[in-house]
Amino acid sequence: MELLLNIAIFLPLVGAIVVALVRNEQFAKVFSIVLSGIVAIITLILFLNFDFSKQGFQYETYLPWIEPLGIGYHVGVDGMAITLILMTAILFFAVFVWSWKIEDRPIPYIALFLALETACIGVFAALDLFLFYLFWEGMLIPMYFIIGFWGHDRKVYAANKFFIYTFFGSLFLLLGIASILVYGYLETGKLSFDYFFHLQLEYPFWLQLLAFLLFGLGFAVKIPMWPFHTWLPDAHVEAPTAGSVILAGVLLKMGTYGFVRFSLPLFPEASKYFVPLIFTLSVIAVIYAAMMAIAQTHMKRLIAYSSISHMGLVTLGTFALNPDALNGAIYLMIAHGLSSAALFFGAGFIYDRIHSYHMDDLGGLARYVPYFTFAFFLAVLAGIAFPGFASFVSEFLILLGTFKNHPIWAFVAGIGMVLGAAYSLYMFWKVMLEEDSIPEERKEKWKKLKDIELHHAIPFALIIAMALIMGVYPYPFVKIVEHTTKLVFGG
Amino acid sequence: MNWNAVLPELILGIGILTLFLVELFLAKKHYKFLSVLGFVFTFLSAYSIFFVNYPAKVFFDGFSIDGLSLVGKLFVLALTGLVLLASYDYFNKKDSVYNELPYLYLIATLGLMIMLSSENLAIIFTGLELASITMYILTGLFRKDYLSKEGAFKYLVIGTTGTSMYALGTGLIYAASGSITLSHYSGENTLFALGIVLIISALALKVSAAPFHFWTPDAYEGAPTPTTAYLSTVPKVAFYFLFVKLLVGLMSSFQDWRYVVIVLAVLSMFYGNVVAYAQRSVKRLLAYSSIAHAGYFLTALTAVDKDLFTALLFYVFVYGLANLGAFTILSILEKNEGWTHNFLDFKGLYQDSPLLAALLALFLFALIGIPPAAIFLGKLGIFLGLVKTEQLVLGVLFAIASLISAGYYLKVIVYMFLYKGERRFKRPEISAGEAFTILVTSFLVVLLGLFPQVVLNLLTSRI
Repeated sequence: MELLLNIAIFLPLVGAIVVALVRNEQFAKVFSIVLSGIVAIITLILFLNFDFSKQGFQYETYLPWIEPLGIGYHVGVDGMAITLILMTAILFFAVFVWSWKIEDRPIPYIALFLALETACIGVFAALDLFLFYLFWEGMLIPMYFIIGFWGHDRKVYAANKFFIYTFFGSLFLLLGIASILVYGYLETGKLSFDYFFHLQLEYPFWLQLLAFLLFGLGFAVKIPMWPFHTWLPDAHVEAPTAGSVILAGVLLKMGTYGFVRFSLPLFPEASKYFVPLIFTLSVIAVIYAAMMAIAQTHMKRLIAYSSISHMGLVTLGTFALNPDALNGAIYLMIAHGLSSAALFFGAGFIYDRIHSYHMDDLGGLARYVPYFTFAFFLAVLAGIAFPGFASFVSEFLILLGTFKNHPIWAFVAGIGMVLGAAYSLYMFWKVMLEEDSIPEERKEKWKKLKDIELHHAIPFALIIAMALIMGVYPYPFVKIVEHTTKLVFGG
Repeated sequence: MNWNAVLPELILGIGILTLFLVELFLAKKHYKFLSVLGFVFTFLSAYSIFFVNYPAKVFFDGFSIDGLSLVGKLFVLALTGLVLLASYDYFNKKDSVYNELPYLYLIATLGLMIMLSSENLAIIFTGLELASITMYILTGLFRKDYLSKEGAFKYLVIGTTGTSMYALGTGLIYAASGSITLSHYSGENTLFALGIVLIISALALKVSAAPFHFWTPDAYEGAPTPTTAYLSTVPKVAFYFLFVKLLVGLMSSFQDWRYVVIVLAVLSMFYGNVVAYAQRSVKRLLAYSSIAHAGYFLTALTAVDKDLFTALLFYVFVYGLANLGAFTILSILEKNEGWTHNFLDFKGLYQDSPLLAALLALFLFALIGIPPAAIFLGKLGIFLGLVKTEQLVLGVLFAIASLISAGYYLKVIVYMFLYKGERRFKRPEISAGEAFTILVTSFLVVLLGLFPQVVLNLLTSRI
């Protein structure tokens, strides 16, 4: 089992090298789907075998690596990590299926996505700070080129902005890691990047404050929290569909994952100290991003702002410092990963067919692509936390937990959810139903629109099925997520 | 007489003389042979390092061998060998073959090795001068090219100022302490302080730290590209080994130099990184990047700390590898007719020669400090050391400067990959030597990032 986790991490990277060496387009496409399918099955096996009644991390591998610097190869998962890894593997599988018909330079495209998959799964499994940072930075270069190569008009600007912002955050994360590392060294005389080594240490308050801020800056850029969010709408708007899906579905979760995995357990007092700050930023993100989303006419920009808004809810739940809210926050990471992926697939489908993201160019599509409309409607419902979908369970838990200690904040965040329903449904109405503003010649043209194809349907079906399962029967998932909550709060 | 201690220098010296003699009888078309012969001698010399017994003192204590200087020599020789292999095709294609070149490179390296193996400030001076004068000649190789002449002249004038500063510093130290060997000197003395400041400034000039950097952009741009590769890597490695030796030996008795170094470091980091944005030539941009890197390296010299020094020397070596790789790719590209290193020439390079573009991108990402490239580990080590010696502010400045630098490296990558080229260039031929150099540097840059133990162990046991 331990071996399977390592295989899941490195198989895609090996695949990327194979794809780059073989240089055959048809082979690359089939190979990527098969390979990511295998990875998804492996993670599913790991997920099903995960014993959530047992405390602590499972499937651990430890190998000594760079000993003079106290660096080891240490991977392992807890409930949160294995669920996120499962989601990541499924999203990547969906992305490769979706990219079946890509024509523009498919070989580097597939190789980069495979390399990205290794980095994404690795981040969630790493239990060594150095390894974590390696994977964390490892996603930077593939994503940079994915946006830069296959993006839309302002791709260079967006790719650079993405790179600089994320690199900015990462450097502070690195400084944070350095500061706790050196403290550990001076305290115990042992230089170690190991997560458990640092879990045992009790940092003094000043160091907690400092390291929390340094780590937090790194995570905040990635999440992104207000006011570090401005790279996200640009990156999403310019990225190709598959890039957006991975960006929203997986990369954003790395930041909140970092908060739960590192900030809360390592700096508990600083976390308490900074609750007002994080709450303020989160609620600003929830409300401000929702307002911004209402004002958008570009579909992807709207979904991007809705992501910021939802991620605000995740940070709110994380720092409510309450088991229910934290459960909800972790649950929302997964739920939002699925729903935003489905929404971006929807936007990508529309762009494939009509070559526009602008709502002014769209309208009344329901008449021409009925099957797609149904799928997209489910995606929108999943996005607005409709009962029966995973996000409903998670947002309910977050508000429940937050309400116990901070009723006013919970109320304000609740307004954000209402706004969320408003802009999502408005988008659906404008794009799919509203017919009055559409000129006749466009309608004529749209009569020939092709409805959803198999390589579109499979990703939608997979993602929505998972969101539904998690929404209708949340019990096992909440149990698994609670596994992490217990680790964080001890008990 | 213990000849074993000077084995590497001896072999290299024999090599230089052999090349010198052989060159007299060979026509220009045998230039490649001479380069390869030079490489063989650097290889032998590097190999002989493993047979040197240390510590040892010869020539009436004028020559002292310790473990660290041997590692320094190994690095210096390795980089020199790679430069030699990468250079011959460039000079052949540029039709500017001078058979003297291979042994000039070797002489410069010999000077640096002598500099590393002494604790006597006067003998260090001799080595320094031997290396510097040779490098002035190497820079001015293109005698008919205005830029090359200008670069060489600037380098000569400013470099000589540096060496005279060094000489004056040595004199002042002698006046203050009555000795020119590296020994602990206790006691406050203005003359001594002044002497040390002068020596620090001279070395800062040699490693092109701001505000002593004025020769760097012109010399780097004017010099033939393989020579630029040499200038920006080999002497740098040697000078940082010397710096470490001076700090451990001479200056630990004197604390105020710290602030001088901090000022130099911060100035270089920010000056180099900001001005790099204004450049239109990639070669010149890399010159400014090396000024910025001088700043990064100097941050590690602000405290006497073993870990900091280990990180620094590792960092300098892998920086040398990455820089060498980048400049080698530039020199391959320059073999194209009409190539000027202007950004516009790099437009759409990815379409013409994807492999070169990808490798240059690898080296540039390495220079930014993205893991798993080895430079990241160097940066991490310096971060750790800075936090450990309670200089978090300097660490933060370092981080900010690294962030600023990402922008201009990315600019090159953007031009290569994301823009369409207007002018198409032929795919340049890559000679065997160049291929070897690029292969070795790129592999080492990544491998040492994942498995740095070999080099780290070499360093930690000897500092």
